[in-house]
Amino acid sequence: MSQTTPTPAATGDATARSGPSRAGGFGEAKRSVGDWLLGVLCRSSAGVMIAMLVSLLGVLTWSAWPAISAYGLGFLVGTEWRVNELQRPVRDDAGKIIFRDGEMVTETVPQMFGALPVMYGTAMSSLLALMIAVPLSFGAALFLVRVAPKLRIAGPVSFLVEFLAAIPSLAYGLWGLFVLAPFLQEYVGPTAERWLGGVPWLRWMFYEQVIVAGRLIERPIAMTGRDLLCGSLILAIMVLPIITSVSRDVLKGVPRSQIEGTLALGATWWQSCLGMLRYGRSGLFGAVMLGLARAAGETMAVAMVIGNNNQISASPFAPAATMASLLANEFQDPGEGLHRPSLLYVALVLLVMSLLFNVVARWFVVGKGGGVSAAH
Amino acid sequence: MSSALVRRRLFSNLMFGVCISCAAGIVSLLLMVLGYIVWIGFASLSWGFFTTVPTGDLSDPGGMRHAIEGTIILLMLASAVGVPIGLFLGIYLSEYDSEWYVTGPVRFVADVLAGVPSIVVGILGYELVVVPISRLTSSQVSYSGWAGAAALAFIMIPIVARTTEEMLRLVPRSYREGSLALGATKAQTIARVVMPAAFGSVTTGVVLAVARVAGETAPLLFTALGSRLLTRNPNEPFPSLTLQIYAYATGPYPEQKRLAWAGILVLVAILFVVNLAIRWAAHRHTRQRTA
Repeated sequence: MSQTTPTPAATGDATARSGPSRAGGFGEAKRSVGDWLLGVLCRSSAGVMIAMLVSLLGVLTWSAWPAISAYGLGFLVGTEWRVNELQRPVRDDAGKIIFRDGEMVTETVPQMFGALPVMYGTAMSSLLALMIAVPLSFGAALFLVRVAPKLRIAGPVSFLVEFLAAIPSLAYGLWGLFVLAPFLQEYVGPTAERWLGGVPWLRWMFYEQVIVAGRLIERPIAMTGRDLLCGSLILAIMVLPIITSVSRDVLKGVPRSQIEGTLALGATWWQSCLGMLRYGRSGLFGAVMLGLARAAGETMAVAMVIGNNNQISASPFAPAATMASLLANEFQDPGEGLHRPSLLYVALVLLVMSLLFNVVARWFVVGKGGGVSAAH
Repeated sequence: MSSALVRRRLFSNLMFGVCISCAAGIVSLLLMVLGYIVWIGFASLSWGFFTTVPTGDLSDPGGMRHAIEGTIILLMLASAVGVPIGLFLGIYLSEYDSEWYVTGPVRFVADVLAGVPSIVVGILGYELVVVPISRLTSSQVSYSGWAGAAALAFIMIPIVARTTEEMLRLVPRSYREGSLALGATKAQTIARVVMPAAFGSVTTGVVLAVARVAGETAPLLFTALGSRLLTRNPNEPFPSLTLQIYAYATGPYPEQKRLAWAGILVLVAILFVVNLAIRWAAHRHTRQRTA
């Protein structure tokens, strides 16, 4: 701090004037220029940040506009995603193809876009992932806060968990594609079918109903390993570290007196843990929301393992698609007409959804002074 | 002892075991993923991976020199824009408290932007950089390194800003007050007192942000596009390690898949070293502080 220059002239103090600052009006001006410059730089970078958000919303809305005006909010409940026009034979009520003058009568089915299948895929894969990841994460967070410090392994375990978050999603995708998916295809799928396939009310898990040549038939789902289940498992692995590290921070914030109080009242170890979980419930909820936001927006790993089938299917063994995986697969080379605007509409929905999740999560985590950094 | 108490204790011990196995499960998952990457990747790694470019020969597909260089250049371009803006924004959020009516919303926006799915950022890059440039040059779709770097910078800025802010807030208030009391201006205080005091931790934050961006694939899909040529011209479609790994991994050729494993090993190894080094540095830093 010896470098800082004392105020010259302004104070009228002789010692100040003879100080290390090479005095005079010029120095004064230069100093205020520094302040002015820093202020301008800082405020304009704040402007850049606002502009980033505005451009994100504005540009997506603008370029998705043809689809928005064509489909409106019905886009969100539309189940068809037909990129190309379709020629198909007209059938009568009995499902017979109609012939006229020996020629098949065909009709043209126009392009149609609806986002419900991908929204369903996103919701199902995220929820399944959370159902797997949340209990594991809370357990691990309790371990890190209440057990690991005594064993002196809190540091290494925390590092491993945080490094799990730093691994690029491409690595998980690769692992999912070449290790997890074949494993599911060869072992988990057939085993599940052997045990559960005979149960009448679980038929929907292993059979799909499709319309072939105008008739509704039921056929077994082909087990490829690349399905909703695989996508959910990969997502679960990917959201584990974020939920674990945020809930660890939340649980660390529980006052010691709270824990000691429950123990003094005769609670067992687990009962005092329950007390901690109850005390930190809003922060923990925020942690789950952060995990949900991450899961819903995750792209590469999911696109590699979920099978990319843009249809709603109840079975976890059927291939599915999420909003992000649809974008990754189709945006690069979109077809004619409303295909690109529709994809942009999907992107807009994804953006708004993740903004909502993040806002809610921040509300619960940061609102309680959790001190959670953006790097999470 | 009443049977209720016994049951309570037993259940507690059971849950104790469950918590330990949760942590053990997560750690073993990590080791499983990492172990497989190291095992397969190491077998496919060779010196040629770093020194040669794709040959077009399917049985001997060459290396990934172009992609490694491409990623480094993309990161440098993105950092050149993203790091200064992020730093100044962090300074603003931390040091201009009197403008709380601006810093509050901006901090919120930064937090929210840090959570935007990276694929959406890639699409924004396409609409905002690729499409206008294509119109201007009236060429086909002009994917470019510039667009890729812009998308990466977009992701980098909120992360750098928020970590910088938090690190600056750790600098004691008395430092600032002392500096101001000696007659320094605000800019001098920040540049010569606050920033030096937080230099280590701010650098850590910046490095982590760059490392995080280095592993991104989705924002580059529609901006840099990827390339199999060794190019340093950001006006062209630009190679990147992650894009090349993705292309090889999802392609049909086994030799290329081996290269993808080698590539992911290199990427994960670099990230591991960076994370470990930063943790070590932070640890040493706090030890020195307290000593």
